[in-house]
Amino acid sequence: METIMFKEIKKRFATYDVEVKRNDLYKVGIKYSRLFELVHMLRDQYDYKTLNAITCTDWIEEGHFALTYILTTLDRKHTFMIQTMVNRENTQVETFSHEFKQAEIMERDLHEMYGIDFIGNENLKELSLENWVHTPPLRREFDTLEFVTNHLTFREGRDDNVDTKAETKRLRALKKAAKEAAKKAKEEAEVQKLKDEEVKDGK
Amino acid sequence: MENKHITIFHGPQHPGITGNMSIELDLLGETIQKATTHVGYLHRGFEKLIERRTVIQAFTIVCRICVPEPDPNEANFAMAVEELAGLEVTPRAQYIRVMVLELSRLAGQFLWMAGQSGSIGLYAVGQWAIADRDLILDLFEELTGGRVYHMYIYPGGVRRDLPEGFLEKVSSLLVYMKKRLKDYDDIFINNASFKNRAIGVGVISKEEAIANGYVGQVLRGCDIKADVRKDAPYLVYDELEFEVPTQTAGDVYARALVRRDEMDQSLHILEQVVEKMPEGEVMIKMPTHRKFKLPKDDTWVKVESARGEFAYYMAGDGSEKIRRMQVRGPSLVHAYTLLEDLLVGAELSDVALIMNSLGICPPEIER
Repeated sequence: METIMFKEIKKRFATYDVEVKRNDLYKVGIKYSRLFELVHMLRDQYDYKTLNAITCTDWIEEGHFALTYILTTLDRKHTFMIQTMVNRENTQVETFSHEFKQAEIMERDLHEMYGIDFIGNENLKELSLENWVHTPPLRREFDTLEFVTNHLTFREGRDDNVDTKAETKRLRALKKAAKEAAKKAKEEAEVQKLKDEEVKDGK
Repeated sequence: MENKHITIFHGPQHPGITGNMSIELDLLGETIQKATTHVGYLHRGFEKLIERRTVIQAFTIVCRICVPEPDPNEANFAMAVEELAGLEVTPRAQYIRVMVLELSRLAGQFLWMAGQSGSIGLYAVGQWAIADRDLILDLFEELTGGRVYHMYIYPGGVRRDLPEGFLEKVSSLLVYMKKRLKDYDDIFINNASFKNRAIGVGVISKEEAIANGYVGQVLRGCDIKADVRKDAPYLVYDELEFEVPTQTAGDVYARALVRRDEMDQSLHILEQVVEKMPEGEVMIKMPTHRKFKLPKDDTWVKVESARGEFAYYMAGDGSEKIRRMQVRGPSLVHAYTLLEDLLVGAELSDVALIMNSLGICPPEIER
């Protein structure tokens, strides 16, 4: 059954073979324009009835998002990863929510985290974030540290509300001063000891 | 007196909610007309943090993705990294992983029992369940050093070998649990107070369950024999005997019966693991962590958690950092697609009851 399916996929959709990642996991990369056709074929002819997940990976250096639609057979023994690359600027992708109900929330999640516009999904409102106007946070260009430095402040009165660099410098200087003071005290003690011995010998 | 339309928030500060989330309920009298799930109270951005860390640095935070059940996260993470890096763990490490995962499933079911019974006011059950779960946490503490977060299932094996006499302690606990679970049947599962509240409530149809990607007890409560351990066996589950319990009614009570039967199956698996535990190393030789690079490739791994299928998508990019790790637990789809539908037409007093039966864990939605 699998061999027939792989041959049909290669013949109709892909330029290379279906990758067998494990005996229960297959993957194929296809053009976005053929995505719906392949998902429908797998669902209607080969029993891949459940959409398990839609995942997104940001390949910023290559200028695209890798969207992976993960489908499972009715007996849940086999999983198919269908991967398609979409442009990462002003990304617009057709929704799957009319065919798979669960796609609505999965797309809403990706819309918030990557800014992908799923055309036809009427529920792309905020999910975890609130009044978010910045770069969608899971895009690679979103720098967490920079965001925290520019937008957040430490609450007054917290013990950790200090400039760590300045504090480290101050502690080092204190440590160095203490060390030098100890060295000086030791030298003075030795000089004093010698003087005492000389006085003793003189007697 | 005429019923009025009102809107109330069930949570996030509510004993009947399973974590930091909230359900906005539009009510006519006490009947729910519309339910809207809200999350966003504890967003911690683990998936973002992981992209900026080395593989081993990322390992330390994955267990925190779901508080009641950290071990399936550790197992998924380790399995994904091993698959991408082409590593194979030893048989002893695999058996130990199964032992940890089954103990974790048991602990998860006790926690569910506490929540589910509490949702209808049977507080004694909750106190018993938390006390019995603590016996499992004691074992975890001895094995891993941590009671809740274990950081034990490590890429390449497990972090340390079993302490001396540990398997005997597991065996003693199994003997106790077998006897003890019968008490829960009397006080909870066969209790008329629970049956009257749970039977016929929160009914899910078989067709809907399959089509919408529901998992775990939601599927098994609708007479679908779905279990990752059987359907796509990982670790050494194919060497162990166990049944996948199912029920036909699709309601809250059916899901409770499935969970109760699963506890027996977990005990049965643990007995076999204790008996068959092989000798040998528990950790393979790993590259030094700063030189540990994942190839440019991706994978999808999954385990059966106490609440159902728990999966990770992971992609490497040839560097020492993980390019992308996406978590797919039961909660996102159950809390939105399922819960928002299931609550329409239900009574206000059944919200906590229905929600608890679905295995929703908000930290896993806001990962």
